[in-house]
Amino acid sequence: MKVVMAILAVSVLVACEREKREFHQSGIVPQTTPVTDLYPGGGTPHAAERSKYEGNAYALSQGKMLFSAYNCTGCHANGGGGMGPALMDDQWIYGYEPDQVYKSILEGRPNGMPTFRGKIPDEQLGEIAAYVRSLSGQAPKAAAPGRDDHMSGKPAESSTEKRSPKISALPPSAVQ
Amino acid sequence: MAAKDYANTRYSGLSEITAGNVASLKPAWTFSTGVLRGQEAAPLVVNGTMYVVTPYPNLLYALDLTKPGAPAKWVYKPKPSAAAQGVACCDTVNRGAAYADGKIFFNALDAHTIAVDAETGKEVWKTMVGDFRRGETTTMAPIVAKGKVIVGASGGELGIRGWVVALNAADGSIAWRAYHTGPDKDVLIGPNFKPFYASDRGTDLGVSSWPPDAWKTGGAGAWGWISYDPELDLIFYGTANPGTWNPEKRPGDNKWSCTVFARRPDTGEAVWAYQYNPHDLFDHDAVNEHLVLDLQYGGQLRKLLVHPERNGHMYVFDRQTGEILSAEPYAYINSSTGVDLKTGRLHMVDEKKPITNKVVYDICPAAPGAKDWQPTSFSPRTGMLYIPHQNLCHDEEVLDVGYIQGTPYVGANVKMNPGPGGHRGQLDAWDVVNAKQVWSVKESFPVWSGAVSTAGDVVFYGTMDGWFKAVHAKTGAPLWQFKVGSGVIGQPITYKGPDGKQYVAVLSGVGGWAGAIVSGDLDAGDPTAALGFVNVMKDLPQSSTKGGTLYVFSLP
Amino acid sequence: MGPATVAQSALDPAGPQAAQLSHLWWVMFWVCTSVFLVVIAIVASAVLRRNSEPTPDRLLTGSVAFGVGATVAILFGFLVISFITGRAVASTVDAGAVTITVTGQQWWWNVEYIDPAPNLRVRTANEIHIPVGRPIVFNLASRDVIHSFWVPNLHGKRDLIPGYQTSFWLQADRPGVYRGQCAEFCGHQHAWMALYVTAESDAEYKRWLAAQREPAVEPGSDITRRGQELFLKSTCTQCHTIRGTIAGAVSGPDLTHVASRGSLAAGTLSNTREHIERWVRDPQQAKPGNRMPPNAMSDDDLHALSAYLESLK
Repeated sequence: MKVVMAILAVSVLVACEREKREFHQSGIVPQTTPVTDLYPGGGTPHAAERSKYEGNAYALSQGKMLFSAYNCTGCHANGGGGMGPALMDDQWIYGYEPDQVYKSILEGRPNGMPTFRGKIPDEQLGEIAAYVRSLSGQAPKAAAPGRDDHMSGKPAESSTEKRSPKISALPPSAVQ
Repeated sequence: MAAKDYANTRYSGLSEITAGNVASLKPAWTFSTGVLRGQEAAPLVVNGTMYVVTPYPNLLYALDLTKPGAPAKWVYKPKPSAAAQGVACCDTVNRGAAYADGKIFFNALDAHTIAVDAETGKEVWKTMVGDFRRGETTTMAPIVAKGKVIVGASGGELGIRGWVVALNAADGSIAWRAYHTGPDKDVLIGPNFKPFYASDRGTDLGVSSWPPDAWKTGGAGAWGWISYDPELDLIFYGTANPGTWNPEKRPGDNKWSCTVFARRPDTGEAVWAYQYNPHDLFDHDAVNEHLVLDLQYGGQLRKLLVHPERNGHMYVFDRQTGEILSAEPYAYINSSTGVDLKTGRLHMVDEKKPITNKVVYDICPAAPGAKDWQPTSFSPRTGMLYIPHQNLCHDEEVLDVGYIQGTPYVGANVKMNPGPGGHRGQLDAWDVVNAKQVWSVKESFPVWSGAVSTAGDVVFYGTMDGWFKAVHAKTGAPLWQFKVGSGVIGQPITYKGPDGKQYVAVLSGVGGWAGAIVSGDLDAGDPTAALGFVNVMKDLPQSSTKGGTLYVFSLP
Repeated sequence: MGPATVAQSALDPAGPQAAQLSHLWWVMFWVCTSVFLVVIAIVASAVLRRNSEPTPDRLLTGSVAFGVGATVAILFGFLVISFITGRAVASTVDAGAVTITVTGQQWWWNVEYIDPAPNLRVRTANEIHIPVGRPIVFNLASRDVIHSFWVPNLHGKRDLIPGYQTSFWLQADRPGVYRGQCAEFCGHQHAWMALYVTAESDAEYKRWLAAQREPAVEPGSDITRRGQELFLKSTCTQCHTIRGTIAGAVSGPDLTHVASRGSLAAGTLSNTREHIERWVRDPQQAKPGNRMPPNAMSDDDLHALSAYLESLK
């Protein structure tokens, strides 16, 4: 009986996070966000900030919608890349943590990523960053989108195998 | 110039290398450009110096052919803006330079045209011709005609308003700019404009054939080849696809996208034009080369303009009037049923029309067309046009899309597949006058390189898995091949060196739109990546890595 | 009531289809009322008579047979007149009618006037103008989930189904502004997905259409210039179009002539300067869950932006 109650309690809590929708909250802009694994002089490695969006189905679904509406698909396709790099692989030039991805979109990056500061509001940026991470399977399966409405030819984000990301500007051909 | 001559024949009269002896061709020297993106350029040889333009960062090397090993005399570094890489649709390529009046003219990716002293490598002038923040880039090889450097825009996937601009070769000032959408005065259509077909006649068609204001983001760049007839005083070139890929967002003929223009080089005024693909459905840019050929046709010597179009038809025009004399398919087509020679209209197949949020399957030829930018070569000896091209079909789903300046304006999910037969590329020999194929060499990968034909009856071309090949011009029989470091998508050339020997040169370094999976490190797990090309090139990374080396061959 | 001049009611028909449906409804109402009264009368009489004798079998079977037979006959009659009404409402109309494509999306209506000349097409949102007395063909589509187009004074409900285009036609026989709304639950703000259909004389309609074809009014004063500058610099260009500027996005309504509309946010707020400011500053307060994010800006900036939007007639 206690086991059953415990399971029920956990499910309810998980479901709460998955289903929460807050319309009035403003997004949180991450502060310091290093994009390297080098911490000289015994520096403390960066502790990734947990994103409040990643376990939330609504946020990931909004992120997916915005990823298309804001033409991210025009450069990154459905994760495979094109004009822009692939987002579904394990190579992240500027970091794969939620705040690092957030910063890449916010600030832009030198070799062609535009800056969306002042164009995409913080809340939506957080949702898009969480969705981008779900393209390589980083988001919990319960919350990631389960089905594509469009031809994409690849498994949906909730069925995407979780890849082990690394900060790396090496091409995949040099790594595998 | 990159096209060898104004007529764009890419034919060499050199005959030291023949079909009989090419089997003993050996590398003479090589040169590493230091750049690993797709190498589409044609090396240029002028007065004992070879000039090579690399993809971004668009380094211009001058190699001294008079010294052993052809060491670099100088390198000019234009330092284009790094951010421009983010608005280059199809790899950060460059298709070559042009030489005139002691200067080398070429384009840097961030919409700058540059003139460099051919001897010293010092910059003479550098003019900004577009704004990459609006999505305008420049990747094409310019031509110089009558003291004007003619440059066309890239960026149809970014919703630009396409144009062609003429700069004064002496100082780089802009002499004229012709837009390809909008009112007649901007398109430089005036009283002397006499299009042959009725559907190209009317006032301000560049406005009325679009929904309100859609012409401002109507694409229609001119990133391909420009040819020139000095006798008729006309330049010929084609315009690119309309913005967006979703045709339902732009009802109307969408003039003047996918159109061939004949213009006066002095003023840019349009003399005639013909729209190949009104209301383009499949990204069939009309930027492929227009060969200026005078041939015996239908019993008399005629001034022709020959154009292998993306839509799969080989157009033969009377280049004085723009009348289509023939438009036969040179590839497998199921998306259209032919060109009505009376009206000039291409008849589309209804079942293959893209519909928003619906997938239309098996459209042939695919978005890169039966042949994309990779240039053909015409041999006057054989009367054949050598066509390097692809054999691809695609599935397409178009989507609603909005224009946000500086971001792509595409609105499509595409997946390409091999065409009938399963091979993705071929090199064909096409009898121009009789409009039929003479022979065809099938290749596994799309043949994305250019071709060059010679008086020695040899045709050179390269494959994306790294084989540089020579075949017999008359029969297509394989004569020689050499495995270079990386796939070949560049334009081979042949020239007579300062020592009198004949050399053949080609850049190796896979990439471009077809090779983006390698040059862009894309993920094969998403078949829609690179606008659908990744789906049909998943095996390329095993067959070729990135590269950036120039190979020069000669007989021993 | 908003800008509507006629009470939103299916029983106040302003066009032939709505008239058919309203007629059908009244027939059913009166028949049912009569049946109801008859049944009540019979039950009442049975209760009041207080007859303790058992009902003879023949009378019982007879009454039941009569009851069943009458019910079946009435229902069959309803079926027939429903069928006739349905046929009449679904009839086709020939070409030359005004054609409008309405695409529903959460939670507003994208309206496009179709014209064979592509440069004469008009795109607007949440507002439709039609000429009185002429058939209007509607092509209905949906961008996301199932919505339903319902202007009760003019026609019945017609679902907008994603991936599928349907069409129907209607006609307004008298001028007026009619309110319509979404009639299929489509998410958080289904309740505030309204639109206004203005039926007017042919001349007025043509005038309105011609004005809608024009690009946006150029800002003519410092404050509206500042407002336009703010619009183009900010997040607005990610979702909205103002023709005549570089803003060409389509996730949100076209704002080229936003000031000419009767309401904001699909009938949620009336179109006043104060409401524009309230909406831009925090749309989530007026319509929680809708797709437009809040925009924090200084009061001065907000005044300039609203001045510009208010000038877009």
